[in-house]
Amino acid sequence: MSGSKPDILWSPHHADRYVICDSELGLYRIGPVGSGETKAGALPLSVETAATLLAINSDTPYMKCVAWYPKHEPECLLAVGQANGRVVLTSLGQSHNSKCKELMGKEFVPKHARQCNTLAWNPVDSNWLAAGLDKHRADFSVLIWDISSKFSPEASVAAEKIRLSSGDTDSGLVVTKPLYELGQNDACLSLCWLPRDQKLLLAGMHRNLAIFDLRNTSQKTFVNTKAIQGVTVDPHFPDRVASFFEGQVAIWDLRKFEKPVLTLTEQPKPLTKVAWCPTRMGLLATLTRDSNIIRLYDMQHTPTPIGDETEPTIIERSVQPSNSLIGSFAWHPTSQNRMVVVSAANRVMTDFTVFERISLAWSSTTSLMWACGRHLYECAEGVGGEGTVEKDIATKMRQRAQSRYGHDTVQVWKNHLLAGGDDPQLKSLWYTLVPFPMQVSLMKQYTEDVEQKQQGSKQALVYSGIKNIVKSSSGTTENRRCWSGSDRQTDVPRFHSEERSLALRLCGWINRGPDINVEPFLRSLEGEGEWERAAAVALFNLDIRRAIQILNKGASAERGDLNLNVVAMALSGYTDEKSSLWREMCSSLRLQLKNPYLCVMFAFLTSEPGTYDGVLYESSVAVTDRVAFACMFLNDAQLPRYMEKLTSEMKEVGNLEGILLTGLTKDGVDLMESYVDRTGDVQTASFCMLKGSPGEVVKDPRVQCWIENYRNLLDAWRFWHKRAEFDIHRSKLDPSSKPLAQVFVSCNFCGKSISYSCSAMPHQGRGFSQYGVSGSPTKSKVTSCPGCRKPLPRCALCLMNMGTPVSNCPGTGKSDEKVDLTRENKLAQFNNWFTWCHNCRHGGHAGHILSWFRDHTECPVSACTCKCMQLDTTGNLVFLSRSQSD
Amino acid sequence: MFVARSIAADHKDLIHDVSYDFHGRRMATCSSDQSVKVWDKSESGEWHCTASWKTHSGSVWRVTWAHPEFGQVLASCSFDRTAAVWEEIVGESNDKQRGQSHWIKRTTLVDSRTSVTDVKFAPKHMGLMLTTCSADGVVRVYEAPDVMNLSQWSLQHEISCKLSCSCISWNPSSSRAHPPMIAVGSDDSNVMYGGKVQIYEYNDNTRKYAKAETLMTVTDAVHDIAFSPNLGRSFHVLAIATKDVRIFKLVPLRKESSSTGPTKFEVQIVAQFDNHNSQVWRVSWNITSTLLASSGDDGCVRLWKANYMDNWKCTGILKGDGSPVNGSSGQPGAMNTMVGSAVQTSQNEALPSVGRPELATDCLTALPSLGLTDTAALTPPPPSLPGPD
Repeated sequence: MSGSKPDILWSPHHADRYVICDSELGLYRIGPVGSGETKAGALPLSVETAATLLAINSDTPYMKCVAWYPKHEPECLLAVGQANGRVVLTSLGQSHNSKCKELMGKEFVPKHARQCNTLAWNPVDSNWLAAGLDKHRADFSVLIWDISSKFSPEASVAAEKIRLSSGDTDSGLVVTKPLYELGQNDACLSLCWLPRDQKLLLAGMHRNLAIFDLRNTSQKTFVNTKAIQGVTVDPHFPDRVASFFEGQVAIWDLRKFEKPVLTLTEQPKPLTKVAWCPTRMGLLATLTRDSNIIRLYDMQHTPTPIGDETEPTIIERSVQPSNSLIGSFAWHPTSQNRMVVVSAANRVMTDFTVFERISLAWSSTTSLMWACGRHLYECAEGVGGEGTVEKDIATKMRQRAQSRYGHDTVQVWKNHLLAGGDDPQLKSLWYTLVPFPMQVSLMKQYTEDVEQKQQGSKQALVYSGIKNIVKSSSGTTENRRCWSGSDRQTDVPRFHSEERSLALRLCGWINRGPDINVEPFLRSLEGEGEWERAAAVALFNLDIRRAIQILNKGASAERGDLNLNVVAMALSGYTDEKSSLWREMCSSLRLQLKNPYLCVMFAFLTSEPGTYDGVLYESSVAVTDRVAFACMFLNDAQLPRYMEKLTSEMKEVGNLEGILLTGLTKDGVDLMESYVDRTGDVQTASFCMLKGSPGEVVKDPRVQCWIENYRNLLDAWRFWHKRAEFDIHRSKLDPSSKPLAQVFVSCNFCGKSISYSCSAMPHQGRGFSQYGVSGSPTKSKVTSCPGCRKPLPRCALCLMNMGTPVSNCPGTGKSDEKVDLTRENKLAQFNNWFTWCHNCRHGGHAGHILSWFRDHTECPVSACTCKCMQLDTTGNLVFLSRSQSD
Repeated sequence: MFVARSIAADHKDLIHDVSYDFHGRRMATCSSDQSVKVWDKSESGEWHCTASWKTHSGSVWRVTWAHPEFGQVLASCSFDRTAAVWEEIVGESNDKQRGQSHWIKRTTLVDSRTSVTDVKFAPKHMGLMLTTCSADGVVRVYEAPDVMNLSQWSLQHEISCKLSCSCISWNPSSSRAHPPMIAVGSDDSNVMYGGKVQIYEYNDNTRKYAKAETLMTVTDAVHDIAFSPNLGRSFHVLAIATKDVRIFKLVPLRKESSSTGPTKFEVQIVAQFDNHNSQVWRVSWNITSTLLASSGDDGCVRLWKANYMDNWKCTGILKGDGSPVNGSSGQPGAMNTMVGSAVQTSQNEALPSVGRPELATDCLTALPSLGLTDTAALTPPPPSLPGPD
């Protein structure tokens, strides 16, 4: 037969063996990749499994169909239906079983030669083998052979057989008399035995599906249909049968055989195989011709009571085991949802498992839960592990929130350490924001400067950014300084003005004072081991000798780079001769330097005055250094242009270093917007922008949106204390955000707030203190309303008027009420607080109520059955945590 | 980076959906066994099933939590053509001791005539609103006017999408600059019907939802769709599970103040991954929308992350059964590369047929593969083959 239509059969009893039949039979064993058993010649089937060819049988040409003997013994006995209608028993692999030997090579020959379409072993009476044949005039098309029957007496036929059967000379192996002959004057295309009864055979005939009962062969039940190919019984529902015709699958219920219970949506191409999954209920796999996908129908047997018709749920899906066209497939008999697929050409096999569809969800705390089949899996971002993988911003923000990131208002720069201290952008940002708290000397200087210019202006305290500062620059002086250490006058012009000095100070290059002295800055850089940067700064201050000294120091430092000496050597050869070899080599070789600062040093030395693009546009050099450099060497025309360009570049990429330029202005919000767009770090954005001017920046809807989102994040993480801290921090910087008091305790009689009399006091929160809430018990007690002097309600437990301090043990000191001390201390401040149930309106001292509900679920007021505490979700939390601590 | 552990789910059939509550301390699962289970996380991080009850008379497709501001409220939808709203109530005291909580049905939404395929609560700032979509192509928006009374829901909007709907996602942005927006995905597999993702936006003037955008490039069946948490960003990001994972960016174009029509978007495709090598089933964003998880028919969960250049990359592969993936590939198609170059080329030729099998392989059908069997049937084996004798 044609070798282009392979088929696969799993061994009914060996879970690791299968047969592929195309032009020959090949027995394979499947095993894990790389195991000792698998030979070097193993064919990879999947990432984990490989197949070894155990045996090949090419004795039986013109194969049309194959069926594997269903019983344990003899193993590897196969029935092969041939194109001439004969059925041959054959075996694969060396079987020493005597019974097998006896059966091997046995042939069952129909009266008239025609194609054998299908074979089916009776699963119970395994001697019976049903064969379905093409039509031949009025002959029978379904023949049931008994493989144990002896050879036929008709020697003439047998003699002819000898010549036909290749290799077999034993005439006793030919059987011509079938046990049953069925389906006269018809063709049979598919067959299967019904598990309901061993004597029932379902056959797909020419234009009908027929059930033959072998107990009474004269009768058959049949239904006219076109869907007669590939009849197969659902192993989980003995009455459910699938068959197909062209692209359509019909599902039949044998109990009501009149019409299909279901037809599946038609597929565009003719089907070639339909198979029920033996390991899962109601899963049907279908394959069409020339396709690389297997379509699966998951029939969930859930009759819906609503509506008249009951239709099962069908989840349709397609899987693609490999990219090549599929020749055939076979479900693994025992492994869950597993199949082996063979390609239409070249016999490429794939071991494939149909996975259940996984649904998944992220939690707010970055753990992932997914459901696969009936199982749940949770997976949390592991701590440690691969240290190289950068943590997600969600995890970072959580950690930063816990380390009080952003809350250090005294030493603002320390916030970058709170953030983990490993992000250069955050470092730059928080150093930039240093000028705000007035404690820092820089700031003093700065505010003085600004205040001199914008006297009384509201914006005095708002950092407006270097870009704006240098824009207003006036009175720039130009001077030419000589290289220190050399007498020669250079033609490197440097520019000075008050604003430029201020900018340099903001960049951190110089301290306050009239003269430009970078020495402290250089020393601090040396202290941090940033040799290259220090050398570059020294060089930009035209101190080549100092630069060389720094490089030497760097080379000799612990774990220093000896190459720095080489760089120093190169520096020392500096000449301002335009056409010198030094210049030529420097310009070409500097690009090979890995360190950007070393690179810009030579760029600076080799460039013409005023054209410092090599320095200004070297993006790996810190923005502060580039800005400071620009403030020194660019003239009044170039400088604003450069600033503008750099600012828009920073805004474009959302680089926080750019806040130095933009300040906390609208521009700064724009920059922060692209930072948030890029990173989602609303935490930094919120803390940073809160420092901006309340009127302009904080009121920006974008800023408000970041703040709201950050608060929402804190809520989702259940960091309620952090959120409260943030709100306090926010209300300090932006008083308008302060929420008004939301809860008042009003007097039962006059309706006035009992803290009314205290409202004149500056802090509302202190209002309750006189009711013994936060004060000591000896403090003045007020047990009546300040408005009308009527007594306050009584506590439901101690029956004292509210405002009376709580006695320590209302329940006369029960020993089991001892809770750990820290907890007690925490609650002590709230013991005197008013509390009441919103449902039944009963209440009393918080301490009493809490201790009551430790042991009771119902309200302490007699005859009140309200379960006050359980109504509250936080009340449940108290109980949960308590029950776990017990 | 990620380590998986298994939880005994004890569902009797396939689990179709998992959903965390706002805080990630509670979880709900729903299954073909028609039930919903609620899980609570203990202080030690263990999950305990605290409620399990039969919710529908068919497979339960999806389950989702309302914001805790509205109480402990769940919504579920099912093949039985209904969606339901559930609320946890304070049960009898013995229930509490058993660690079980009690959920009661507050309402059943019966407007759909076909299977309800997805249910989602609208973002908190819109109030208590619930959206469903169904296989008949209708998206319904319900509102509980009184948040204290969850048994009254009024059908506010019916959006007809013309195509069988499989999934919906609300834009979670609470910014006033972004009007309420909902994306709908269709699992219709006919590529001729055009874009399978439609985006509807609420118009304040007409008080109706109007179509703002159709993603015309997504023509294959869409199984899941997810707007990313906006987190104050100026644009929206939408992840789509179709035959591959796709990430779209919707940048609202500045609107002239006079125009009243829906917002115009600049739609950019940010990433497209076919690493699953098969249909993608679900997508989910983490809270900062910096990590995306997807699951596919290859039985793997993949994690995606963008670098600072907004380039998305796969950062992790997990097998559905929690076992580690050998090597980095982990794709069923990958081993075919080992087979040989001849096979490889034939696979490559077959590749164009992946998406549209009805077109590309018609030429191959011309090969008379059936004809071969016919000829074999007509000509019986030659009576005498020249044997080896």
